[in-house]
Amino acid sequence: MYSVDPASAEMKEELARKLVQGLKSAGIDFVSYLPETRLSQILPLIRDDPAMELIPASSEQEAVTIAAGATLGGKQAAVYMENTGIYVSSYSLLVTGKQLGVPILLVIGYLGGVPDQRNSFLYATIGKHTIPVLEALEIEYRILEDGEKLESKIRDAVRAANAQRAPYALLFAGEFSE
Amino acid sequence: MIRRECLELLAGKMTDQLVVTSQSGQRIEWSHFSQHEGNLLLGMMGCAIGVATGLALALPHRKVIALDSDGSVLLSLFNLTTLGNLRPKNLVVYVFDNGVYSGSRISYPTATAGNTDLAAMARSAGISNACTISELGDFKTKGIDALTSKELGFFVCKVEESLLHREIPRPKTDLAENKYTFVRYLERTEGKAIPFVGRG
Repeated sequence: MYSVDPASAEMKEELARKLVQGLKSAGIDFVSYLPETRLSQILPLIRDDPAMELIPASSEQEAVTIAAGATLGGKQAAVYMENTGIYVSSYSLLVTGKQLGVPILLVIGYLGGVPDQRNSFLYATIGKHTIPVLEALEIEYRILEDGEKLESKIRDAVRAANAQRAPYALLFAGEFSE
Repeated sequence: MIRRECLELLAGKMTDQLVVTSQSGQRIEWSHFSQHEGNLLLGMMGCAIGVATGLALALPHRKVIALDSDGSVLLSLFNLTTLGNLRPKNLVVYVFDNGVYSGSRISYPTATAGNTDLAAMARSAGISNACTISELGDFKTKGIDALTSKELGFFVCKVEESLLHREIPRPKTDLAENKYTFVRYLERTEGKAIPFVGRG
């Protein structure tokens, strides 16, 4: 059974703050989401930040379309989801993200990838297909395993999404999944 | 009731509203009746309500309209529960429900031709102002009144299957062209830059 070490829980809190600060610094002011296990500590931080709007969705497919609409309306939007959400939302990522050409930052808990510290038989299959699916959708991505230069990496991702007029995925694993 | 009659009525009421359409005959009919720069003619099913919701949340002072179809809403039923809880006051959804997958060319029936009642589902999901409209007279009152109401509206407009849209030239603007026209219109009318358009 997985148990949370108090020290690592504290570390996660610090990383969560850093992640949310990175999103803010990159101009993200709108986040639609479905919660998951690895990064969920960012949710109350975003919710309590008056500079960011947090919108719950019922499906990742919907979260992507809501973010696309918000972007067209002048927001700098992100979608926070588990990597399984990539499979669920691949249709809306393709048609609103790629075909229509709308930048969206994807903040993804990368379950089941090699750097996932909680990887198990439950997640390994899910993780194995994430990158091939992103590549099939021609969505650029970066795997983040620690908080080093996190702010600038998030800023780079948002800049790339805007330049490409397309979604860009940040996959969080390593220390983010402890 | 014929969808085209409803759209013609609606088009006559447009001022500065933003209209998002899904992929169906109504996209073609709407683009025929309204060439407004605030039209976003999405060429895909199951996305219009989500995109319209995002617009409505980003621009709470603008009225946003989603024009959708039964087949498209059935693809994205999760929108009902999200709208039922968010209840954006500036959003009106019109679902033109002809009970068939008309684009399939064999008019294969949708679930709404059977036992499914989309307006009842919307109400159960938390959208208080959701109802079925079957007569043009009711569309003129309930449907059109929603344009000035400060409440989320969800109207399932029961229409006969009509192939009139096949007699209308399809819109010539491609998706990217339409997107930029829409975004530039928003920049002009909102007096602010849309971030992703950026600098060259």
